[in-house]
Amino acid sequence: MVGGAITPPMIPMDWTWRQMAAEVFWNALQGVGIPVKDVDLVAANYNDRAIADSSPGPQIADALGILPKPVIPIANACAGNGIASYAAWNAIASGRCDVVVSLGFARSDNYDAMEAMNTQGNYVDYDYMMGMTHINYGAMRDSYYRRKYNVPLEAAGAWAYQCNWYARRNPLAANYSKPMPVLEELCMDTPDAERDRQATNRGGVASAMVFVGEDIAHQYTDKPVVFDVAYAFRPPYIGNFFHYPVEGMKEYDLAELPGLMAAAKEAYEIASIRREEVDLVQVHDLTAYEGMMAIEAIGVCEVGKGKDYVLSGGMTLESQCPINTYGGGPAFGHGSAGSDFQAGVLENFWQIRGEAGERQVKDARVGVNTSYGTHHSLDAVGVVQKGW
Amino acid sequence: MSDQFPEQFVRWDTFSSALWYRSRAGRYRLEGTRCTGCGEKFFPPRTGLICPACHARSMEPYQCAQTGEVVTVALDDVGFPALGYGDALPRVQAIIRLDDGIHLMVDILQVENPEEVQPGSRVKMVLRKHKREDSGAWVYGFGFVLDRS
Repeated sequence: MVGGAITPPMIPMDWTWRQMAAEVFWNALQGVGIPVKDVDLVAANYNDRAIADSSPGPQIADALGILPKPVIPIANACAGNGIASYAAWNAIASGRCDVVVSLGFARSDNYDAMEAMNTQGNYVDYDYMMGMTHINYGAMRDSYYRRKYNVPLEAAGAWAYQCNWYARRNPLAANYSKPMPVLEELCMDTPDAERDRQATNRGGVASAMVFVGEDIAHQYTDKPVVFDVAYAFRPPYIGNFFHYPVEGMKEYDLAELPGLMAAAKEAYEIASIRREEVDLVQVHDLTAYEGMMAIEAIGVCEVGKGKDYVLSGGMTLESQCPINTYGGGPAFGHGSAGSDFQAGVLENFWQIRGEAGERQVKDARVGVNTSYGTHHSLDAVGVVQKGW
Repeated sequence: MSDQFPEQFVRWDTFSSALWYRSRAGRYRLEGTRCTGCGEKFFPPRTGLICPACHARSMEPYQCAQTGEVVTVALDDVGFPALGYGDALPRVQAIIRLDDGIHLMVDILQVENPEEVQPGSRVKMVLRKHKREDSGAWVYGFGFVLDRS
């Protein structure tokens, strides 16, 4: 991986998804000096019905000016960009392509997109029509997790506070210039505090990452990072979270993330790392509770011990493995539905290159990020490592 | 909104009468499927699908238990007006475990005090009106109430 870009928060309302996609595609290529004509393939995840309804591949290729080069269009909810990156990885690894761009975008601040996200968030042709949205799923998961592992509000408040602390040090965060919340208020049992502990709404976001073969990476940058990715699925019906007759899943229920465990296991193996070697982690957290579930699933701490990791300062820059230095959900929110995965990869990319400014993790060499879609029926894990 | 249709009926939802009809056995009487190869039971039904446990393709209808207990509960005080579920708030939604071990996410109906619904509460299935189709016809399906017997 040699470069990348993400749109700043609150892009103009009159930008189309085509403008958003072209913006990050252009900026990512410009950043590493690769001409558009040299791109062999684009793998693009999107999360917007307006795009999905009519042959997205050529529309995206046309917007990016790469015709007749192909686009692999992927619509797999919020972590679908992990799959796009997986496709890009394979295109490079196979030797078929030299330059591949992985793209994600969501014009998610319109109702069409919200509708699409809601249906994708459930077993689409069953309980969604009963008026049960993925937001309801999330509320159910959080309440169950809290009860099962006795997670105090203070842990959730501390999670949100630390994310906000990083967000004030990340110019790409939606709340970069806003006042810091008060920790004690974040820990209260009120609707306002509950809202403030959750992800902010950022609006549409697009992002792009540029991959090239390892043998030519140094032509474009003196600080390439090595990127690996894996993803795994879990059944989309929430009742099946309590019993699904497949090894690796039937041991768990709604309070654990076996799909993420499987994806992390494969990602670590393909990247040839042990979890003890991970220097920093970015997780996709729409709520503090699922953030804790995520760090448990990827092995930062034991299952059910996320609260202890957070309350002992494990998220901070002083920790052995800081968490969410990009600002997490409070910084990037759910508006980044097309780019949730890449937001974490890009943060780790900049961290490992030493370009993270005030939130820089000292001597970072290995970064891991997670992203999920369909309330953790799809989990993706990325690993970036210092490549120079 | 109108007197005739007091609930919101202008929707951008993806409700499908055809989908609902095809799944009527499950929606009206909790009919799931069971794998004749390994005996695993499933809901929603997996008619014509492959068993994830033994990989056979041999599902038969299975009548799920119609009583069970609450595993976890969460209030929904927003509803989903776009789908016709914006009235009678808060909705009391729960994960329940049927007496045969199958788990469902359901509405707990006829609850005066949401505090009544707790993990371990006994529930039983009822047939309920869910919403109106765009044609005005009622959509029926399962719901659950507290079993006070």
